[in-house]
Amino acid sequence: MSTQEQQPVQPVAIEEIELAVKEQTVAVPKTKVPRDAAYWAPKVDRLVVDADKAAMGFNVAGRRVTGPQQGFGKLWQRTYSAALRPTVSPEQLISEWKDHFASFWPKGNRFGGTLIAPGEVAPIAVNTGGGLKLSTGVLVLYADPESFTFMTPEGHMFAGWITFSGYVENETTIAQIQILLRTSDPLFEMSWPVMKLMEDRFWRQTMRNVAAHFGVTRADITGKTVCVDTKRQWKNWRNVWHNSGIRSVLHLLTAPVRLVRRAR
Amino acid sequence: MTSKCETTTRSLPGCAVIELSGEVDGSAADVLSKAYDEAVVADQAPCVLLDFSAVDYINSTGIALIVSVLAKARSQGRQVVASGLSDHYRQIFAITRLSDFIQLYDDIDAAAAGVGAN
Repeated sequence: MSTQEQQPVQPVAIEEIELAVKEQTVAVPKTKVPRDAAYWAPKVDRLVVDADKAAMGFNVAGRRVTGPQQGFGKLWQRTYSAALRPTVSPEQLISEWKDHFASFWPKGNRFGGTLIAPGEVAPIAVNTGGGLKLSTGVLVLYADPESFTFMTPEGHMFAGWITFSGYVENETTIAQIQILLRTSDPLFEMSWPVMKLMEDRFWRQTMRNVAAHFGVTRADITGKTVCVDTKRQWKNWRNVWHNSGIRSVLHLLTAPVRLVRRAR
Repeated sequence: MTSKCETTTRSLPGCAVIELSGEVDGSAADVLSKAYDEAVVADQAPCVLLDFSAVDYINSTGIALIVSVLAKARSQGRQVVASGLSDHYRQIFAITRLSDFIQLYDDIDAAAAGVGAN
């Protein structure tokens, strides 16, 4: 216990407090909020999956996000686009695309997100053929009225970003999907010749579904693939540890064990 | 698409500088590519400095453009550094994990000193 003698507390006048608060308010510099601030996801170190999506998001929870620089294979830019009717504005296109995103995916694949908004985490299940669903996910990195971008987690087939956007060209609204990716690890890189064909079919069908939603029944889908960097990033070969293909198979094989545990 | 991004290029010892201003989005692809080519042709420096002091808007397509510049520079054996990023854009470089690969400096002088020291 302190033996110091306590000093009497001097009462402070209300006016003095008000003045101090006022001066404090004036002294604080106003920080200009950038126009794009609301469109970006907040920084996350490890992804968190909502409890109701935990079963589907077993390959996503706790993972870090990966950009193209964290991947293994060559850096590719793939672009798919389709012309819509001029009456559809880019804002209308993106608003509808966000609202119906899951329904535009080809049958047999599942998008587990409920909302396309910055910071949302969506587990996904991709049909790889042969009955196996590859479980992975995406983070909504960016979303504004005319575009939105997904970023992939560790273990996804690709390390990179997928941007969905709308813009006007020659008085026609164009829907576009642009993907900047590297395969994540050496195993996915080896299967790239097959994966790129599957990927191609997947996004072309998605584009057709989007166009059909806006009344364009026989949309002409244009696709372009450019190799941005031919170098593989061998230092990232260890990404194979998170490989979602391997982990999805293991998860499938251990399903009976989980069932028994739950029954106890 | 008309770009709202402008660039100026100049040389510092060991570093080709590209100063960006305005909006870095998808429409800036040609502007940025041209500026990069001008900067590295004029100055065979081993480093390219992107200065964002006068940038007031970056969207996800703009970030993808910066990745393309980074990939191009790295394939040519050049280092890429950045300066003049506000706290907001520093955070974006962090979440997109660009800052894992691009050294960030407060301003051009600090970048020039940092690159020179390396």
